[in-house]
Amino acid sequence: MFTSAAEHKPRALSKLALPYILVAPAVFVALAIAGLPLLYALWLSFQDWYLLRSPQPVWGGLVNFQALLTDSALWRAFWRTWIWTLGTVAVEIALALPLALLLNRDTAIARLASALILLPWVTPFIVLGYGWRFLLDSEVGILHAVLQLLGLAGNSSILNDPNMALAVITFISGWKGMPFMVLALLAALKSIPVELYEAAAIDGASPWQRFVGITLPSIQNTILIIGLVLGILAFYSFDLPWIMTRGGPQDATTILGITMFKAVFTDLRPAYAAAISIVMLVILATASFLILRLRRQE
Amino acid sequence: MTARGRRFRDIVLDLVTVLLLALVLLPITWVFIASVRPDADIMTRSMVPTRVTLDHFTAIFSRGDFLIALRNSLIVGSIVAVGTMLIAVPAAYSLSRFTYRGRDVVGFLILATQMLPAVAVLVPLVVIVRALGLANTLTALTFMHLALGLPIAVWMLKGYIDAVPRELEEAAVIDGSSQLGAMVRITLPLIRPAVVAVGTFAFVLSWGEYLLALAVITSTEVKTLPLALQTLFDPYSFSWGVVMAGGVVIAAPTVLLFLLFRNQLVGGLTAGGIKG
Repeated sequence: MFTSAAEHKPRALSKLALPYILVAPAVFVALAIAGLPLLYALWLSFQDWYLLRSPQPVWGGLVNFQALLTDSALWRAFWRTWIWTLGTVAVEIALALPLALLLNRDTAIARLASALILLPWVTPFIVLGYGWRFLLDSEVGILHAVLQLLGLAGNSSILNDPNMALAVITFISGWKGMPFMVLALLAALKSIPVELYEAAAIDGASPWQRFVGITLPSIQNTILIIGLVLGILAFYSFDLPWIMTRGGPQDATTILGITMFKAVFTDLRPAYAAAISIVMLVILATASFLILRLRRQE
Repeated sequence: MTARGRRFRDIVLDLVTVLLLALVLLPITWVFIASVRPDADIMTRSMVPTRVTLDHFTAIFSRGDFLIALRNSLIVGSIVAVGTMLIAVPAAYSLSRFTYRGRDVVGFLILATQMLPAVAVLVPLVVIVRALGLANTLTALTFMHLALGLPIAVWMLKGYIDAVPRELEEAAVIDGSSQLGAMVRITLPLIRPAVVAVGTFAFVLSWGEYLLALAVITSTEVKTLPLALQTLFDPYSFSWGVVMAGGVVIAAPTVLLFLLFRNQLVGGLTAGGIKG
């Protein structure tokens, strides 16, 4: 009321700055852990840097990207990563859809189960990885005994079989991610109006017709969006194949995340690894963009 | 369908649910079971338990390196939990209560970091951490772990703050309180359960995190639990029982805290995952 202009101004300024000050620490963390490293990776990918030869990076232009194109092990890892990604998402949908339909009921058991089903999602990779290794171990694993009985595994663990290891770990990866899909599907299923089903029942539609005609169209967007999110996560996997097989046997489970990790820590070529991560980002951005674009055109 | 028919169908479907759930969760329950089975039972693969033993837990808690890792994980996890709360609450408040230039960009930036997997920024982070001389320190790990739960925390808390009527704060401001004072005294107590849930979530994410720890830490004094568990897996002398007991030590708090705060977290996850 009696405040002079001089006193008033700083208060107005600080009031203007307040929202920025409040959000600044969060922005700082986001920039320091995500924004800055991404830019740095881009810069690094144009450097020539082999730690055994030089301690400091020197400008190399496109040298890493040229090397990428002729790296046949990398190409194999690249295709393997697509199999891994699509396989993981397929397993996630295949496991989650029946579970979500089963859990979308209002009984005490269904409610309890909707909570417990989330355990694979929240349990750390290191525990799940060793848990599955224990199950599949050739000496003590009960699952190994079952696989042996079915003739799928020999005397050695199935994880040592170059032809089967990728399939097994892809399945485990899908099992781990499945709860998130269940959660999303449950939310989508709950939002379908009951009247639709009642009307269809009066029209004499069979349960299968109701599923295809009402349920599926109502949840297909959720499947697509969440499938895309889970696909991105799978594309960037590292923990599970590393903990279970270190990318082996004979590179059978080496996906791009593992190739990149080895490029830094085994081959000591951080700039080359940065180039791999840039290519991965570009592929992923393109794929996501295309999928969402196609979706909108439909 | 008659009421009796419906009841019957529910019972059958409940049974199917229980069976499927048991099958899906078997790998996790088996870790817990193995951690209390004597080695003899584990080696013979017998399904019939002879006795329950805590030997594996005694063995693991008598190992110096494991105890050091336990302490390190507790330190990192606690700092990350408190840090996430201290950073996320004001950020969420700012995004919820103010309109200002750049707000949408800031909100998008924070949400986008959530979608960015650790593998995507691993290489530059490792190079930066080494250049700063922070390799093999808990400082570097703690800072990186802050980013794990922060985006979801901000978006979850923003939802909760949105739901608190502005009028409550305005009344306090008219009574002479500053806006920040109103936030601390009025809004914060109302969203306290969500703030605790967010802190818990950040703790749990840090507690089980593997890749970043693997990338920046090699020496025993600064290893966290996931890395210590890997050390237990010594090819020459390891016991599955002890490794599984270590797994339980890592999984138990995660599972427990998650089930306690399930409602807040599930709401936040679906809101953050689908709205974005």
